[in-house]
Amino acid sequence: MKKIEAIIQPHKLEEVKDAIKAIGIDGMTVSEVRGHGRQKGHKEVYRGMEYQVDLLPKIKIEMVLPEARVEEVIGVLVAAARTGKIGDGKIFVFDVAEAIRIRNNDRGEAAL
Amino acid sequence: MNAVAVPALRSAEEVQQTLKARNAEVEDLVRRSYSATLYKQFPSGIALAAVGGFGRTELFPHSDVDLLLLVESEKQIDPVRETLSAFLQTLWDSGLRPSHSVQTVAYCAAEHDDNVEFSISLLDRRFLAGDAAVYESLDDRFRAFLTKQASWLAPRLVALTESRRAKYQNTIYHLEPNLKDSPGGLRDLQAVRWLSFLRHTGDAAGLGPRFAFLAAMRIRLHELAGRDQNVVTFSMQDALSQDPAALMREYYQHARSVDRAIQRAIEAAEAKDPTLLGRFYEWRSRLSTPEFTVSHDRVFLRAPMQPSQSLSLFEFAARHKLRLAPDTVDRLAGFTPQTRWDDWKRLLSASHPSFGLQAMQDAGTLAAALPEWRKIECLVVRDFYHRYTVDEHTLVAISSLESIADPRFAELYAELEQPALLRFALLMHDIGKGSGGSHVEESVRIARTVLDRLGAPESDRSIVEFLIARHLDLSSVMTSRDLSDGATAKMLASRVEAVERLKLLTMLTYADISAVNPEAMTPWRLEQLWRVYLLAHEELTRELHSGRIHDAAGVSAERAAFLEGLPVRYLRTHLPAEIDGHLDLARQLNTRPVAIEIVHQRGVYQLTLLTRDRPGLFASVAGAISSFGLSILKAEAFSNAQGVVVDTFTFSDPHRTLELNPPEVDRLRGIVRRVVEGKQDASQLLRGRPKPLLPSRAARVKPRVALNNEASETATLIELVAEDRPGLLYDLGRAINSAGCDIEVVLIDTEAHKALDVFYVTADGRKLDATRGSRLKAHLLAACAGS
Repeated sequence: MKKIEAIIQPHKLEEVKDAIKAIGIDGMTVSEVRGHGRQKGHKEVYRGMEYQVDLLPKIKIEMVLPEARVEEVIGVLVAAARTGKIGDGKIFVFDVAEAIRIRNNDRGEAAL
Repeated sequence: MNAVAVPALRSAEEVQQTLKARNAEVEDLVRRSYSATLYKQFPSGIALAAVGGFGRTELFPHSDVDLLLLVESEKQIDPVRETLSAFLQTLWDSGLRPSHSVQTVAYCAAEHDDNVEFSISLLDRRFLAGDAAVYESLDDRFRAFLTKQASWLAPRLVALTESRRAKYQNTIYHLEPNLKDSPGGLRDLQAVRWLSFLRHTGDAAGLGPRFAFLAAMRIRLHELAGRDQNVVTFSMQDALSQDPAALMREYYQHARSVDRAIQRAIEAAEAKDPTLLGRFYEWRSRLSTPEFTVSHDRVFLRAPMQPSQSLSLFEFAARHKLRLAPDTVDRLAGFTPQTRWDDWKRLLSASHPSFGLQAMQDAGTLAAALPEWRKIECLVVRDFYHRYTVDEHTLVAISSLESIADPRFAELYAELEQPALLRFALLMHDIGKGSGGSHVEESVRIARTVLDRLGAPESDRSIVEFLIARHLDLSSVMTSRDLSDGATAKMLASRVEAVERLKLLTMLTYADISAVNPEAMTPWRLEQLWRVYLLAHEELTRELHSGRIHDAAGVSAERAAFLEGLPVRYLRTHLPAEIDGHLDLARQLNTRPVAIEIVHQRGVYQLTLLTRDRPGLFASVAGAISSFGLSILKAEAFSNAQGVVVDTFTFSDPHRTLELNPPEVDRLRGIVRRVVEGKQDASQLLRGRPKPLLPSRAARVKPRVALNNEASETATLIELVAEDRPGLLYDLGRAINSAGCDIEVVLIDTEAHKALDVFYVTADGRKLDATRGSRLKAHLLAACAGS
């Protein structure tokens, strides 16, 4: 099993959700996060004063998937979240040691 | 939906029967277990008492069973422990949830600041089993304790009650309320009874029907959940009634009565408070007027309110941050004020309008004055995020603006020209909810009827209607639009059209999100909303210059000629009536070189000036105005293709020069005319004006000047923030002229003693180069410093 963590632009959430759902993946956790990568925020000028906006609002999506579906999901994610501009985000993939469904103690992929 | 009939809630009588039966059953079980365990080992010297809810014989199907094991001395505590656990075990095994304590009689009859709840639970005590003499000694000593330490328990009970209520944001209008702990719930009801007992008043009379309703709901909730569940969740609301909305409205009505009763009881308990706070309250009583008396921060009526007094009482509360006395609320029953638009505007222009509106809501006057309000009163609209009923959400939204923590939004709010319009729009923004269909359209429709009835002028109506119609737009842009896409900025700018409207809409969105629930305005949303504001602000101010009016369509040839070449912004910041006025002034230019108009409205003066442009004109006029001791709050300067400038100056009259000496208005007009015609030198006028007092060093504003060559295609944008002072604008204008630059557009704003100025300047018809730019910046900074 792998965990996919994707940081995307807020306005891409609906598109990404629909695309992921369309290939039959139902479980995901979405959170509102702030941060920066190479984009490193930017300078805003307001009222003659420049100030650095270093933490930009982003959306984080987390999913745990069977190994076999990881590449497919990454492909769909990239296609849906991409605008081609700086700040589109990143996808990280982690190994998952175990998954347990709390309700009935199902383990492994059965718990996903 | 399932078609299974939902049984009706129990009647008051049935509630009593159910509680009584449950009590008898538990009592029997407890007594039998006691006989079988503790009594065998300790036939004398200890006793078992029922306290808390059990003590009151108000046992709900799954509530805890509060027990107190009384011992004569501490030495007994350890020996009884082992047998006690056997006793409790039998209770657990019978499915009860005992909650017990073991205490000596002496402990019970003493003050314990760390265990006030215990003393409160003893107020409802009852002998169950064991040594009756031990119980009687407790009973005697606790009574004596209450008499002797009468002033100890009541204030602590009040403090506990207030802190519990604060956890629920002090409102009864939760969509999923807790029957026990929410404000207006059973715990508050019980607190009223306790305070009434402790202070020997009859405050608790009349709460019977409230108790019966809340208890009936709680009994059914326990039965449905099979445990001590007190939160009426949405799914429980469905299970409790076939018409959950009606059930909840009934709930809020009962809760509201309990809420009022507890507030009164708390107030009465605090009334005798001889503390410093008490003296502060007395100091506030100086606010009293011939109509209203202020005592302990509460407003009392000196005579019954007449409809013609309109909203004066509530305006008074809003101005001084006061609440109504319970007696006032009673006396307002059936009061229907006659209101006109000006009454609402006055109320909503006060510094704490939420106090006025809350007072109206508490007294039922809000619905009396605005019958449309009834549609959203206690209205539950279910969704995942909202925590309050629609009416409460609306009031929370308005009050959220009175305590803005983020400095950027606080500043934005303070800059609003007419916050009353924003507040009225908020009052109406969800009024169409619950009518089915789009609530936005319905809210606009209803607001239009209300504004019609109140006789609001078109200029105010259009802003209020715009705000309601667009109240979801910024939230949706925040989550669903690409903020780095230029099209988003353009779309926003074309929808809001003017900076002032953008500010209003941004603050409306801020309030609307903040009032969804206490955690809804996350740093994420705050940041995103600010980005949206900046994006649209930049677009609107950029457009200011890049967009010039050309071949205006659908207007007379004369109007088109006048508009030709003025910035697009001019159209967006002036209402058609104002443009008509400018056109009249422009006609005067056929016979004379200068047309001037001075009007006095909304507490400030506005001078409008049309003439042929010439270098230094703007600075000279600013200087002439300052020379009268007037303080310029706002200014704009635009020019059209014919070289006619339209300058407007808004200024206040801090020394009441014009107000007390009407001929001075004519003299001002004459001086401005002479300055414009070049017959009078502004710098001579300013000579001899006394130096103003500067604010304290800590409050001073450090001057900032930023030049931007990207913002406009043809001019350099200068943004300047500085300490405002008389004559500042004149000095800045002169600095720009002396650097060899021409002012194309000016937008001046002030906030408290801070000046926020925007100039678009050119030199020889082009943007400034680096050398000239830095020279100008130095000149401006020197001008800010007053040198």
